[in-house]
Amino acid sequence: MSNSPRAAGPGTNTGNVIRDSMMGLVPETVEEIIRLNGHVWRDSLVSASILETLRLRNARTVNCVFCKSVRYDVARADGLTEDKADMISDGYEASSLAPREKAAIALADAYLGFPAGISEDAARRVTDAFDDDEIASMMVSLMTFNFTSRAAVSNGGMPEGPLPITEVSVIISGGTHN
Amino acid sequence: MLDEATSINLDEHLARGGPAAQSFARLWRQLWAQDHIPPELLELCRLTFARLHGDEVEMRTVNTFIENGGPKAALRQLVRDDRALYDPTLPAGWRPVLLFAEYYWTDAQSIPDDVADAVKDHHGEAGLVLLIEALGCIDGRIRSARCLRDLSDFRAAQEFAHVE
Repeated sequence: MSNSPRAAGPGTNTGNVIRDSMMGLVPETVEEIIRLNGHVWRDSLVSASILETLRLRNARTVNCVFCKSVRYDVARADGLTEDKADMISDGYEASSLAPREKAAIALADAYLGFPAGISEDAARRVTDAFDDDEIASMMVSLMTFNFTSRAAVSNGGMPEGPLPITEVSVIISGGTHN
Repeated sequence: MLDEATSINLDEHLARGGPAAQSFARLWRQLWAQDHIPPELLELCRLTFARLHGDEVEMRTVNTFIENGGPKAALRQLVRDDRALYDPTLPAGWRPVLLFAEYYWTDAQSIPDDVADAVKDHHGEAGLVLLIEALGCIDGRIRSARCLRDLSDFRAAQEFAHVE
């Protein structure tokens, strides 16, 4: 992996981490990506703690060092503690996570598989825990978390070691408008 | 009754997911209406991912987001057969993009600097960024569509068992 970023940002300092990143180089898409991230966090049909569970499972699989270090304020306010964040690991099945949280991880793993796909057991758990609207909402969230984290990794310049855990506000990546 | 989910018709299946689904659909349309990377080349990337996923449904799906019908049939077949990368008919600047896509799909951490540099040489820094965004959206939509098809099959099997 490249030691330095392959594409630098546009040199702006707007206060929005997406607009000031390399994504700011593509004006055709950057504003929609900001709106998308805002909608994912503000208008999701599942709770912020479920969203954070999906996001952290994705970050761990993609190995995005930045994403793994971030905790969204709305998810913490919704009860996603560090103890819970630590449980989103290989041994999650035996953890004290709620069945709905475990089903969300099963969905994330199905999406992130090579190749992607849902086993019969995972399908049963996901459909028992979530309705069709919630599943659709989670699929959009997974796609968003996955493409933004893989974008960060693809651009290079990722630190090798873990970063300190940092709480961030949805406002700095999702904008303030809908 | 919706057709089975693919990366192309996915927005119909996810519309019930609320405003984020609508935003993702707008982003998807924008990827096919920009000037940084030819849409025909992005379509070959979609077929490359379909091949790597072993996804026959995705492979035979026509991309209705490309106005001029997309890449030539011969090029599409080369990608399907995994023979495109070194074919002399591949336009200049397309090979590094397809090579980048294969590394991206395998593991984004594995992309070599010379491959990324070759993309930048041909398509510019903004082209590299657009490509990275597009590959993430394409692969994500193929993955989501596969999951939705599996869920649909599961429900159908359950209904059948219930009737039996």
